[in-house]
Amino acid sequence: MSFSKELVKGIWRENPVFILVLGMCPVLAVSTSAMNGLGMGVAATFVLLCSNAVISLIRSVVPDRVRIPVFIVVIASFVTVVDLVMSGYFRSLHHSLGLFIPLIVVNCIILGRAEAFASKNSIFHSIADGIGMGAGFTLALVILGSIRELFGNGTIFNLPLLGAGYEPILVMILPPGAFLTLGLLTGVFAALEKK
Amino acid sequence: MKDLFVSSSPHIHSPEDTPWIMRQVIYALIPGALIGVYFFGIPAVTVIAVAVVSCVVVEALWQKLTGKDITIADGSAVLTGLLLAMNLPSGSPWWLVCLGSLIAIIVGKQVYGGLGNNPFNPALVARVFLLISFPVQMTTWPQPRSFFSQAADTVTGATPLGALKTAIFEHGTVTAAPHLNLMDPFLGNIGGSLGEISALALILGGIYLIVRKVISWHIPVCYIGSVAVMTGIFWFINPNMYADPAFHLISGGLMLGAFFMATDMVTTPITNKGKIVFAIGCGVITVIIRLWGGYPEGVSFAILIMNALVPLINKATKPGKFGAV
Amino acid sequence: MKEIIRLTVVLTFVCMVAGLILSYVNSATMEARAYQDRLELLNALNMVLPEHDNEADKDVVDVAGTTYYLAKKDGVINGVAFKTSTEKGYSGLIEIIVGVENDGKIIGIGILSQKETPGLGSKIDEGWFKDQYKGKTLESAKWAVKKDGGDFDQISGATISPRAVTGAVKDGLTMYAQNKVQILGGSNVVQ
Repeated sequence: MSFSKELVKGIWRENPVFILVLGMCPVLAVSTSAMNGLGMGVAATFVLLCSNAVISLIRSVVPDRVRIPVFIVVIASFVTVVDLVMSGYFRSLHHSLGLFIPLIVVNCIILGRAEAFASKNSIFHSIADGIGMGAGFTLALVILGSIRELFGNGTIFNLPLLGAGYEPILVMILPPGAFLTLGLLTGVFAALEKK
Repeated sequence: MKDLFVSSSPHIHSPEDTPWIMRQVIYALIPGALIGVYFFGIPAVTVIAVAVVSCVVVEALWQKLTGKDITIADGSAVLTGLLLAMNLPSGSPWWLVCLGSLIAIIVGKQVYGGLGNNPFNPALVARVFLLISFPVQMTTWPQPRSFFSQAADTVTGATPLGALKTAIFEHGTVTAAPHLNLMDPFLGNIGGSLGEISALALILGGIYLIVRKVISWHIPVCYIGSVAVMTGIFWFINPNMYADPAFHLISGGLMLGAFFMATDMVTTPITNKGKIVFAIGCGVITVIIRLWGGYPEGVSFAILIMNALVPLINKATKPGKFGAV
Repeated sequence: MKEIIRLTVVLTFVCMVAGLILSYVNSATMEARAYQDRLELLNALNMVLPEHDNEADKDVVDVAGTTYYLAKKDGVINGVAFKTSTEKGYSGLIEIIVGVENDGKIIGIGILSQKETPGLGSKIDEGWFKDQYKGKTLESAKWAVKKDGGDFDQISGATISPRAVTGAVKDGLTMYAQNKVQILGGSNVVQ
């Protein structure tokens, strides 16, 4: 596997959200706007990239029986770093993502990649995997967030696109809208995959 | 055609097929729809027409785009449109109705693979989608007036159930709600969705369906019965906090739901035992939402929630094979 | 036995390194986070207070369980802000900040937090709704929504949230009026 192949697979062929259907909790909860989706995606990508790199580095010295606690400590540390930095410098984003920043710890994409990829591959490939998976996750969140924000609020990234007379379809920014949009998008991805 | 197979005998010959059933249900809905038109006038006609036409158009377009057989002739899209219209306020703007049709046909039915595969009642999916999305438009109820007095501007007001909820919230007792002569909701002279206002017309339609054996008596009787019993118990305990069962039976969407939407063959259990469980579940959830929920009316939510449980109910009530241990 | 020691050592070591890194990041971002906390309060205060040259978030008086933030210009109090809240909304707590001139006339209100129904009750956070409280005093307005015979517009489809906000603002103003002397007292008061 080459670096570029590891990088690209997370975006489409093994997209963590639409194909692997991982990390649904943050996907459903914070995709209320494109900005929230992007913030969550970038935060998770940072954690994924760092934890993949560190775990790949220390994989030979960590005994098998304590690997899961070690992975979780590594992941939790990076999440705490993100939480503190975001709280200090991006306060409004920190407010809208709220509880879901600390919850990145239990996002199964991250532990999943640590267990399934980083603990078995070189740091070089693990970084590519982390960036790729993170990009795929971010892409999915931004698509989902944009669609929900567009129909539920008439805007994308706070840019009014549908005009002042538009009656927002409120359900789209409420929890049912997350399930509806995710379901339809997963269907679209599956249909494209088949072709 | 590869999905068809011939089971072992005996075989039953019957004139029933999908278009026949759909036609019967549409006939049965006509009295209720006519009452809606009588009390709400031209806007009601518009809502019905827009809903039916847009449902058929959306179904045809979707089937064309996805390369499936176009089945609009089976009448199911017409029925969904009519049911949707009857579940909307008569003053709904055209775009709201069209969006409802889009949701009913595509999200409610076609994404699951079309008629027969949908777990939820399409018209109710659309109604709840619209109710959550457009709370203002979906709770602006034009008040009834005779079809022949079209001069004055439309007056809007609360439904009887809405007035009840407000009374409890503001005064802590149901006795503060405006007094309701029960003949009004019986005949349809109240505020509410286009097709839910007259209990009489809906019961007549429902009886027609039972007589023609399109639906069995189990679901309507158990649904309405469980609402009566449960509201009766609470009314008996504290008539200041809870309205009487007659009020609960005759107002809101209970009759429309019990006869026409909780009986949809596709989304309800197969066996009679299952139907009874399903109907009682609907009744209990309806009463819970009406008495303690945030919304004044719970029929659509109750039926959708029970729709989701149908596979479980079917599994639990499946008759054993004869002789099997 | 050797195995368990190895496990313990590795895990302890990883945790120690993680702890070190975190304590460093914590202290490095401490100032920025404290600044953001303060900024939030200051933004809320500036929304409802007149132009002032003191640090209003630090110039506070606590009276009867409520914190009053004083705005001063050239050392003279020209406005007071306080928080008020209500549980009478449709869902959960609504927190409101109210800014008044010394005589109790409202300069502006802001919604700090609310969980009302999106698209209905949540409209209490819209400009037109909050603006109708500007310039009102306890005496100059009938403190109820129009549906209840008062002066304040309810929101179409939602009466409960505006009623709750109006009640909470009224309660806040009443508390202010009762304790005005104590709140303004001591400093140089412009009446």
